[in-house]
Amino acid sequence: MAARISSRQQIALHVVAALVANYVFTWGFIALGVAGLFAAGTEFHDAESLASMLGLLVFLTAFLWTFAARSLPRACLVLVGGGALMAGTASLIQALLIRAY
Amino acid sequence: MFQSFRSAMTWIHTWFGLVLGFVLMGAFFFGALCVFDREIDKWAIPEARFEVQPMPSFDRVLLPEFEAMSPSLETMQIWGIVADNRSSLIDLVSIHETSAQGDARTERVVKMLDPRTGKVTNGDHFKIGSEFFYPLHYSLTLDWQGLGEWIVAFSGMMMLAALISGIVIHRKLFREFFTFRPGKGFRRSTLDLHNLTGVVALPFHFFFAFTGVLIFVGQYFPIGTTQLAQLHELHEQLEIGESKIPTERSGHAAPLASVDAMMAEARRRWAAHGMPGEVGVIHLRFVGDANAHVAIYPAATNSLQDLLNGVHFNGATGAVLQVDPAPNAVQQVAGFLTGLHLQPFRHWPLRWLYALGGLAGCVCIATGLLFFVEKRKHQHAKQGSQAIHVVDALAVTTVTGMVIATLGILIVNRLLPDTLPAGWPRHDDLERYAFWFAWLLAMAHAFWRTAPVAQGRMAPAWVEQCWTITVMSVTAVLLNWITTGDHLLRTLSDTYWPVAGLDLALLTVAAIAALAGRKIKRRAENASMIAESVAQDAARA
Repeated sequence: MAARISSRQQIALHVVAALVANYVFTWGFIALGVAGLFAAGTEFHDAESLASMLGLLVFLTAFLWTFAARSLPRACLVLVGGGALMAGTASLIQALLIRAY
Repeated sequence: MFQSFRSAMTWIHTWFGLVLGFVLMGAFFFGALCVFDREIDKWAIPEARFEVQPMPSFDRVLLPEFEAMSPSLETMQIWGIVADNRSSLIDLVSIHETSAQGDARTERVVKMLDPRTGKVTNGDHFKIGSEFFYPLHYSLTLDWQGLGEWIVAFSGMMMLAALISGIVIHRKLFREFFTFRPGKGFRRSTLDLHNLTGVVALPFHFFFAFTGVLIFVGQYFPIGTTQLAQLHELHEQLEIGESKIPTERSGHAAPLASVDAMMAEARRRWAAHGMPGEVGVIHLRFVGDANAHVAIYPAATNSLQDLLNGVHFNGATGAVLQVDPAPNAVQQVAGFLTGLHLQPFRHWPLRWLYALGGLAGCVCIATGLLFFVEKRKHQHAKQGSQAIHVVDALAVTTVTGMVIATLGILIVNRLLPDTLPAGWPRHDDLERYAFWFAWLLAMAHAFWRTAPVAQGRMAPAWVEQCWTITVMSVTAVLLNWITTGDHLLRTLSDTYWPVAGLDLALLTVAAIAALAGRKIKRRAENASMIAESVAQDAARA
């Protein structure tokens, strides 16, 4: 029974970690997409819809991958790290564009 | 955690499907009903039972109504008229500022107008289709902090995950197209039906779950209003510089020019561009000021997108300010995706395909839940576990209970008098309560009458709720006849499909539920006879 409970907790942890990490990754992806496309001359709302469309597909793929990955901590680290990096780059692009105008 | 990719996918499919299947059933079922939301509105509001009319004169009919709805022209913010291609009554929306407590707030007044008489109807009506089933299918009407939308969106994403993992689990995809073995035992045929409805309508399911989440994606990833708010602001400043549409009052009073003339001009321009059409939406701002703005959009009768090809006028002079540019590639793709979900068009064969696709989704999810129960109930019965009892009770609540709740709101809608006694809650509140109360009752009954599942037997709740559905469906049709005089012979001979169609659908539901109830009862009797003879043999031995 103890083994079953610990495996249940493990599963709950797995699900929550996968969701949070994938949300952060997708957030970063969409943010970078919007900022990057806008910088490249795309209209803001067009950039938003294009990045979001792809973002949802990215979430889906990454979510399934998280469950199939051999190591959950490593998968989460990659996703959170990648998401933060992309979000940071998006903020940097924003700061540069604001200064330029 | 998982041995292989396939076992991970099986786990996702089973457990996310089980936990969120109940939400998804609701989204698919009420989404399928929303294909006919305006028609359900007409069934629920007898005053709306007439053919769709063209937009009436703004200057003579609509303007006086708006003036009556707004305290003064200085505080008016928006006047909106929505006369879509399937509603007979026209919606008038007026938003104005109220600064009673010193801080600026807005108040929204909505009225319905009969375009034949030009009179506003008694406001206490409830459009069950477009104001209840519609928000229910994407927000569960859980409005607190947008919680319902988050739940449905998450379920939608998991639906996509379930579809992909389902494909991974079942590698014989093509064969499942043609496999249904109704005689091969309940468990086998349930799984066949689950695979069949999942595979046949796979693109439909995928598309609807995906676009459903996409429509509100800005709410789940509010990047443009948080992290990139400055960039958004920069874009707006650049855009204001280019646009000719006024964004604030000028401070100089000027009367409103003829909006009828603007409508005529808009129609002429659409016709000249090879897109003749009726006016669907009119949007007015800053009326009474020299900067008044009137936007006129066509009804999206034959197109996937509404609010396209808008013509913008200066409201004081009647001059055309600008015409919406044709959508670019990104806007076309985004409009195509959301338009296919929201289906503003009036193409009836296509709308029926949508409804059938939605119902196929319901069958797919329901058979998935049933298969979960069937696969485990004997094993759980041996272990003495109650878990399967809970799952089966929830399955009854979701499958038959949801239909009972839907019939409950229709019946109460026909039972309530047009004018309620003083001190009663409003029509919409009472009808909502009826819906949730009926569902709650069905749930209580489901938990009470599914206890035998824990012993590995068929739950009597299924049969009993099937009979309830039959009785309630016929009652709804009869009540419609008694309270409005619109019986099927009349609505069919007048070919008034909104009401005739819903009555026929209700009778079909009654027949299907009766057949299902009889079949389940017979099967349960057979199963218990077999169980008894096995027990007797065992006792004899």
